[in-house]
Amino acid sequence: MSLEIKGLFKRYGELEIFRDFSTSFPEGEITCILGPSGCGKTTLLNIIGNIVAPDSGTLSGFDGKVISYIFQDPRLLPWKSVMGNIEFVLDRNMHPAERRKITDKFIQLVELQNFTGYYPSELSGGMRQRVSIARAFAYPSDLILMDEPLKGLDVKLKLNLVQTFSRIWQEDRRTVIFVTHDVDEALLLGNEILVLSKPPAVVVMQNKIEIPVGDRSVDSDYFKKTKLKLLESLG
Amino acid sequence: MKTSSTSKSKYISLASVIVMLLIWKLLSVYFGSAFVLPSPEKTLITTLNLFTDGNFLLTVGSTVLRSLAGFFLSALLGIITGIASGMNPWFDAFLRPVLVTIRSTPVIAIILLALLWLNPGTVPVFIAFLTMFPFICTNVSDGIKSIDPDLVQMARFYRVGKERIIKELYIPAIMPFIISGASSAMGIGWRAIITGEVLSHPKYGIGTLMQNAQTFLNVDAVIAWTIIAVIISYGFEKALRRVEHKLIAWRS
Repeated sequence: MSLEIKGLFKRYGELEIFRDFSTSFPEGEITCILGPSGCGKTTLLNIIGNIVAPDSGTLSGFDGKVISYIFQDPRLLPWKSVMGNIEFVLDRNMHPAERRKITDKFIQLVELQNFTGYYPSELSGGMRQRVSIARAFAYPSDLILMDEPLKGLDVKLKLNLVQTFSRIWQEDRRTVIFVTHDVDEALLLGNEILVLSKPPAVVVMQNKIEIPVGDRSVDSDYFKKTKLKLLESLG
Repeated sequence: MKTSSTSKSKYISLASVIVMLLIWKLLSVYFGSAFVLPSPEKTLITTLNLFTDGNFLLTVGSTVLRSLAGFFLSALLGIITGIASGMNPWFDAFLRPVLVTIRSTPVIAIILLALLWLNPGTVPVFIAFLTMFPFICTNVSDGIKSIDPDLVQMARFYRVGKERIIKELYIPAIMPFIISGASSAMGIGWRAIITGEVLSHPKYGIGTLMQNAQTFLNVDAVIAWTIIAVIISYGFEKALRRVEHKLIAWRS
């Protein structure tokens, strides 16, 4: 079963963001919503996350889904260590030893095992984002929502985080929906790329990428060709 | 590098104390009367004698207990009202004139009124409470307002319980503000307590003995009690710094 949005309407005052918008997201895949700034990507993410209510429209398949988030900035608690920050989101009904085990596992996966006791102020920007990735995966969710998780990072750091992300995702295969306006980010992370137009948004292009996440190279011909195609559809 | 510069600043601080003692000595020689200004040596002996006095602990203990009672009372109420005013702009607007009034009322006016309302032992506690409360309340309120709403949103999205959001997000976030509020409150509150004791004359208290000494022109004893008050206040400050260091280790 896939996650579906049907006949979505949403407006903010005069601005009509969605008019009878429909789309679907395959489960167990990474779907990227690519679009220009102000096209309503974040609004769409917020509607999926049940943070913003749509004016009308139906969402099916999302009911009862537990969601974790990766934000643009890592949003770590400055007074908690790497371990404490991940453990913070885990259920208190869980036995402490169990929480510890899960936390340790994901700290290993994002390769921060030598930094478990460090505070966010002692970590680099890339490391902090890795903690937030570990937190999202450690949380027992069905769906991960990401809002421009690589924004503002340099290319090397972006590739590095994509590697980390894909390594965890390959094992986990959780449904991921993320929004970005950055074509590179979409091409590096998305299996399924939806390109949205300016508001009121329609899907102007849908592109599937078969190369597994993590094995993609920005220098390959395929990457360059697809990038051009996406840029063209973005207008 | 760092240790040598801190030890250097320690020497300079020590030099400052020595200069103060020298000026004191010179002035005492100039006046030439223990009824005006006793010499530092004589005062030191008087101070040491105070320690051996049978009621010393009772006296100092009473004043310290009063200040702690005033402090915890104002901390408790300050934190509660501070959180409320930090979260609710209406309550904030309501509370602001109250705080301004308390803050700008002369301490002596409050003492005079308290003397009419309360018994001698509780007057200093009440005074300490009123002088400390605005500091803690304002600081906690500022702390709440400074909390990053993105962090709160993150915790909500991850369905972290309300109680844990307060305990693990709000409280640690306002902790630095509480400590700095407590630090200024302690300094002012301690002085107010002793003023209160001088005027209300409870059975035991530093202020009571200071006033007795003044009545009998024991200037050396007045100064000796002052020195003891300063040392205790310094001890409070040190203890607070230690707590701060422990609680705010994440701020590197």
